[in-house]
Amino acid sequence: MQDFTNETINIAELPKFEEVQFQPLHKDYWKIILIGNFILLLILLLAAGFLLVFAEERRENWYFFPIVIIIVFLLSVVLGRISFKKRGYAFRQHDVLYRSGIISETTTIIPYSRIQHVALHEGVISRMFGLASVEIFTAGGGDSDIEIPGIEKEKAQSLKQLLLTKLSMEMANSTLENE
Amino acid sequence: MSSVSDFNQPQRQSLIGVLVMFTDTFQKIARGLWPILVVWIFKFNELNKLYVGLGVIGIVSVVGIIAYLQYLNFTFYIDEENDEFIINKGVLNKSKIAIQLHKIQQVNINQSLVQKIIGVHALDVDTAGSHKKEVSIRAISHDLAIALKTKLLSEAKSASVTNEITEMVASEKDEPFIAISFLSLIKIGITSNYVRSFGLLLAFFFTIYENVQNLMRNSDALDNVDQKIGTYINESVAMYSAMLFIGTIFLVIMIINLVRTLVKYFDFKIAKQNRSLLLSFGLLNTKNTIIKPEKVQIVALSQNWLQKKMDVLNFKIKQASGSESEKESKKSAIEIPGCNAIEKDQILKLLFAEFPQKGTMFKPNLRKLLFPTLFLIVIPVSALLLYGFNVDNKIFEYIFFLPAYLIFVGLLLFFSFRNYRLFVNQKYIIKQSGAWDIDNEIIEPHKIQAIKVSQFFWHKPANIGSVTIATAGGTISFHLGNFTKVKELVNLWLYQVETTEKNWM
Repeated sequence: MQDFTNETINIAELPKFEEVQFQPLHKDYWKIILIGNFILLLILLLAAGFLLVFAEERRENWYFFPIVIIIVFLLSVVLGRISFKKRGYAFRQHDVLYRSGIISETTTIIPYSRIQHVALHEGVISRMFGLASVEIFTAGGGDSDIEIPGIEKEKAQSLKQLLLTKLSMEMANSTLENE
Repeated sequence: MSSVSDFNQPQRQSLIGVLVMFTDTFQKIARGLWPILVVWIFKFNELNKLYVGLGVIGIVSVVGIIAYLQYLNFTFYIDEENDEFIINKGVLNKSKIAIQLHKIQQVNINQSLVQKIIGVHALDVDTAGSHKKEVSIRAISHDLAIALKTKLLSEAKSASVTNEITEMVASEKDEPFIAISFLSLIKIGITSNYVRSFGLLLAFFFTIYENVQNLMRNSDALDNVDQKIGTYINESVAMYSAMLFIGTIFLVIMIINLVRTLVKYFDFKIAKQNRSLLLSFGLLNTKNTIIKPEKVQIVALSQNWLQKKMDVLNFKIKQASGSESEKESKKSAIEIPGCNAIEKDQILKLLFAEFPQKGTMFKPNLRKLLFPTLFLIVIPVSALLLYGFNVDNKIFEYIFFLPAYLIFVGLLLFFSFRNYRLFVNQKYIIKQSGAWDIDNEIIEPHKIQAIKVSQFFWHKPANIGSVTIATAGGTISFHLGNFTKVKELVNLWLYQVETTEKNWM
């Protein structure tokens, strides 16, 4: 205990999470968002088409449907673009950060020592672009988990590996301390 | 007593436990068939009494036979070789459940009303990883239950490295170091849960009122009466009857709360076992739970003005739960009702080894009042005025309710803003909130799992933002604080989490 010190921490000198440079998502991920939007457009058009074919009394105001659909489509494309631009991630020495959100800009921070497990997801569309998403779980429940989409598959795999080694290192450390 | 401590041979439950199995099965059947039962009751006179009687006897005897077979086929023992606790059960579908002893997290001994009457106990085994309590011995004598619990947990100890379990087993019959007095429970019963009971009562009255109205509409003869009542209420009697109504509701709420609290928490005892707390309580169903300080994530203290005057407060303790869903973690919150100041200090000392001090205070921005004011005052009042001027100005005859409402809501908003505070020091994060019931939620920084910082884009110029701390026992949020300070705090907490040598569990 002789080398025990307990100096006051200067909060101003602590590393600042808000000054971290966030890495943007892979640019191909934007294409995935666009494809998703086009699929939405297709579904909406099909639904409207069915309605017009089978519900004759609605044909009077047929022009109403394309207008609404186009507005919805444009809005979701624009919002998708903004949200794509806003999203970013960063891996620091001791924690992982993920920023997202248009209306409310949210940064979630998970220290490596609190990671429970890491999952790698590949969607059908994202597989075509060789992209994957990495999901990081803590014991804090669903709301505090991070899912980083739009990472190249190889990179995602190495990230997962990195996190898992960090995890096992922390585990080893803590068991050492316990003994 | 040799047979008691020997769990290596398969053994059955107490024979009288057939009764427990009987009521269990009966309940299940009744739950499944209640619509038919209701129909039968209503048509009772039309039915042939003989058939009904035979039916009832038939069902009872079938259930009885099932219960007896369940009893016969239910055996449990400890397999020493494989370190497993094994249960065989099932009448048609036989199943064998084997639990590795080191996976046993917790063994609880509980007692329901039926079990209390016939003098047996239930023993539930909690394992890591499973959501349900899949292993439950329904009828076992108290001595046997204690012996089995001790055995299970001590075996678990030999298999796992942690020594916390030995502490738990050490002494089952510790003298309670805190016993919540009957008087404290009465105090808590009449002073808490106003809001929830009020909501329930309101819903209840509305459904009744609606039904009565429907009934009256359906009968033309009552139309006149309805109108008469309508005009009658318009008189100044409205004020008086409203007061009476509110008074009655208040009284009913108090009585409901009192009875609920007394039944649920009757004979609340807390025993200390080295570093764990053992709780037991309940009038009809006796429950036993355990609190391990290292598993505790959030400690919440709640007290309102009346309770402060009477020197009682409520504890809510949230422990880390294996399950990931929010709902279940809410369920696993443990309440200790009606502690006085001394008992509060004792419990806090056991949980934290000291009395947590409130650190630097952080206040929310005044804008925190904006949205509630908008939704509770501006929008309703303007809607009322619009309705009164444009549709039906009869509503202005009730305008005298408005000042009362405004004062009530205004006070609520004022106090909820004034009490909304965050206190931070090196060892504790304490969030205070609430208008009437003032909650203090205590978190230790090393129990943080993740931190979420968020800011609405229209709050950027004003430099305000929110932070949410996630722990394994739930989250704590502080909304609309000074964003620079919030970020400073987050950096501090991250530093603390990443440098700490303490485990979060």
